[in-house]
Amino acid sequence: MTLDTGVVLAGGEGRRLRPLTRNRPKPMLPAGNRPVLEHVLDTLVAAAVDRIVLVVGYERARVQEHFGPSYRDVPIEYAVQEKELGSGHALLQARERVEGPMLVLNGDRVIDPGIVTDVADAFGDRGDPALAVMEHPDADTYGAVRLDGDRVTELVEKPAAGEYRLINAGVYAFTPAIFDALAGTPKRDGELDLTAAISRRIEDEGKPVRGVRTDELWADATFPWDLLYVTREVLHTDRVDEPESEDTLYVAPSAIVHPDATLQPPLVVGPDCEVGPNAVVGPETALGRNVTVGANATVERSVLDADTRVGAGSTLVECVTGEDVTLGANTTVPGGPADVALDDRVYRDRRLGAVFADRVTARGGVTADPGALVGPNATLGTGVLVRGRIDEDSDVVR
Amino acid sequence: MCGIIACVGRGDDTLDTLVHGLSKLDYRGYDSAGVALTGSGDDTVEVVKRQGQLDALRRVLETARADGAEPRGTVGMAHTRWSTHGAPSDANAHPHTDCTGRVAVVHNGIIENYQALRDELAANGHEFRSETDTEVIPHLIEELFDGPEYDPADPEPAIREAVARLEGSFAVVVSVAGVETLFGARQDNPLVLGTSPRDAGSAGGERSEPRAGATYLASDVPAFRAFTDRVVYLENGEFARIDAEGWTVTGTDGEVVQTSVETVDWDPEDTGKSGYDHFMLKEIHEQPRALRQCLQGRVDEMGGRVTLDVDVDPERVQFVACGTSYHAALYGAELFRQAGVPAQAFLASEYATSPPPVDDALVIGVTQSGETADTLSALREARSRGVRTLACTNTVGSTAARECDEVLYIRSGPEIGVAATKTFAAQQTALNALALSVAQERRRAGDVRDSLSALRELPGDVQAVLDESNAEALAEEFVGAPSYFFIGRGVHFPVALEGALKLKEISYGHAEGFASGELKHGPLALVTDETPVFAVVTGDGPLATKTIGNVKEVESRDAPVVAVTDGRSKVERYADHVLEIPEAPPRTAAVLANVQLQLVAYHVADRLGRPIDKPRNLAKSVTVE
Repeated sequence: MTLDTGVVLAGGEGRRLRPLTRNRPKPMLPAGNRPVLEHVLDTLVAAAVDRIVLVVGYERARVQEHFGPSYRDVPIEYAVQEKELGSGHALLQARERVEGPMLVLNGDRVIDPGIVTDVADAFGDRGDPALAVMEHPDADTYGAVRLDGDRVTELVEKPAAGEYRLINAGVYAFTPAIFDALAGTPKRDGELDLTAAISRRIEDEGKPVRGVRTDELWADATFPWDLLYVTREVLHTDRVDEPESEDTLYVAPSAIVHPDATLQPPLVVGPDCEVGPNAVVGPETALGRNVTVGANATVERSVLDADTRVGAGSTLVECVTGEDVTLGANTTVPGGPADVALDDRVYRDRRLGAVFADRVTARGGVTADPGALVGPNATLGTGVLVRGRIDEDSDVVR
Repeated sequence: MCGIIACVGRGDDTLDTLVHGLSKLDYRGYDSAGVALTGSGDDTVEVVKRQGQLDALRRVLETARADGAEPRGTVGMAHTRWSTHGAPSDANAHPHTDCTGRVAVVHNGIIENYQALRDELAANGHEFRSETDTEVIPHLIEELFDGPEYDPADPEPAIREAVARLEGSFAVVVSVAGVETLFGARQDNPLVLGTSPRDAGSAGGERSEPRAGATYLASDVPAFRAFTDRVVYLENGEFARIDAEGWTVTGTDGEVVQTSVETVDWDPEDTGKSGYDHFMLKEIHEQPRALRQCLQGRVDEMGGRVTLDVDVDPERVQFVACGTSYHAALYGAELFRQAGVPAQAFLASEYATSPPPVDDALVIGVTQSGETADTLSALREARSRGVRTLACTNTVGSTAARECDEVLYIRSGPEIGVAATKTFAAQQTALNALALSVAQERRRAGDVRDSLSALRELPGDVQAVLDESNAEALAEEFVGAPSYFFIGRGVHFPVALEGALKLKEISYGHAEGFASGELKHGPLALVTDETPVFAVVTGDGPLATKTIGNVKEVESRDAPVVAVTDGRSKVERYADHVLEIPEAPPRTAAVLANVQLQLVAYHVADRLGRPIDKPRNLAKSVTVE
């Protein structure tokens, strides 16, 4: 059976990526200088699908505006998930737009096209549901899987720590029968998980579900520091669409880089960027569209999203910025490691200098303790020291 | 103002190709639509046409298809109409035919001598079935076909002669029964030719099959862009004949004209709605991207320079424009004056018929489509007086772009919603850059540097407005108000006018924009406790203070006041509601304030269930005077 349709679940907010997801869904966060979702669609285009259905929900205008009606000549249709009621509920929203067998991908993971090919092969002519499985040290953070040969024997949505080592990579192939299966699966806590429908098939009906072991690239954005890792992977594996002037150094033709600036690959400098004299940018850094790096600034192992302005003399290490962030002169982000509190849990020793969400303004001379999370539209007065979490719209003065 | 699509060489897909083309053109008019097809051996051209939007025609064609009676042929043309002569009706819809049904014509424009021609033809026994000016064309051709010198093997000379007798503005395409060739001519109305040569179908990679050659004529590229990206822009007075093998373009003298085939680079899918309820909302949300495209490569903040591909250093400037573009022109004129260049904006229709002294002015025509008849006339009037002209337009290869000495493209991509949104923002931005490029020649470098950083921040600031706007909730509050008023000063005066125009166009509500200081000189009599007043106030300078004074005048009449503000002037103390925009210098704040007002207009109209993308009586680009 040919898999002509690709369905991508792109409606999730990404609570653990707050405050970066204040104005856009998680799949629209940057991996390198392009949204994660673009990399996902690249994978589908490589798999030669004829059409793409994007299931959108939270802040969907951002997805629709970015991709419009087609991506790399493959037409896109949009299915709207009005409320976030689980991955199964999300897929069910695509029902009216899919007729034949389909590939289903999560919109928040950069994966190698090889994974999709493997899943398509396992789906093969029999048309049994298939999913990709991989080893992961933090299986408890993702959905876990048990395999017997090429058959999945168990799927666990929220596993206990240490019990599992295989995870569900979020790449599936289904026939349209999945829609009936989903419609017939009872909700749990008001939510309908895709894995619940698959588990029912395995446990209640005893029908086969194929699991494909893979160890290809898989980079997932679950936490803010993941964005630094995902960007590093993207830069090292040639997934940047700007021209490459030397090995892993990508500079958009419309960017203006002062001749006295130093660019250290791997690095991508997006369209319309300006980099001032004696600035040092890179390695493992992505500058989104229209980013300004002032004279004598240093930016390394950081992801700066569109319209960010870095003032002269600033130092940013392991820093993530949202859109339209303004960091005044001599902003200092010395870099991780840090203990970061997110979603009622503390994550220890994470490499994260600071996160500045969309439209934060730092007036100048601001210093960020490692792991600082500054909420959208916050204003930091001159000379402020920020640590921990700063709420949205706050006005912080010394 | 109408849309034409015609094709030869699409075989059995001819009808589908035409209907697809119409669907891409209906922004040009939509009160009736029709198709005409013929093939070898036919005695008459088969015509189907209907009053109403394209769906009405589609339904008729579907019913006919179910009965096996749909029009068939390998040569076809179609038309979507926006009435000028004669009410919208089945009879007045195009295509029009002669008495015998042998000749069919679609036409865009106005035939000024149609009454004389009609009287003459009627006296010769021709029977007219419509009230249109267009119908004289097929009858005129029929008359010439019946003449002694007519050779049925070659209808071209008769058609050329008929076209030569027409006065006025037109783009016409003529089909003759049984003839597998179409004939087209243009005078002051757009007509473009598209060509997909035999075996050139490999653009989509292995999936697409090589196809036979096909040739198209249309009012605008989107009509055939799904089939080819190779385009020939016809000039005034040129005559084209197209068939499956290719095309020939000749001048009025009959000599073959060497044409150049251009490749259009935008994607046909750009015209899809991609999940939005309306094109207008999609285009409002596209503004950050449109402005980035507009500014790309033009602003060098580090170097402190604007680089535009136009060569002007005017002593004085006159703008000519209509509608929304006129508001952009008012804004542009204000910026030129701030740069020390005397500048005025004129309504193009007035300028064309009662022009002011031009002296040595640079005349700038602002027109999204580049085909706006009034603006073209004004520009031609200016050229006839020997001054330089500049077109500020969105449409590459448009008449304005080709006729003017210089072109400044706003680069915002195709706009489908009739109510201009992203193109207005891009016009403001492009004119802003143009004014800066003139200012930098005059060594006002400090101003230029500040403004450059504001320009680079503009796309992100527009995104901020889109992300944070409370316009929807506010619109809900004011749906159904008897009148809406908009006030602003300086660069915000055109924003007030544009805010009112947008609301009028799509909600059909009554709305007026005023210069803030003008309100008390009359319009204040209309202000009541039921008429919301939108005041655009940014910064905390003297203009803001004065506008706040005007806000107080309104407030004391108990009118609900909505302040569109960056918060610096504390106007919110006197306002009932606030639409907030990021802090920015006045010239870019005007772009941001307008985005809030676009959203208000959209949500008011949406609540009222109006056909937002196709408001009644309006057309996207108005190519009649």
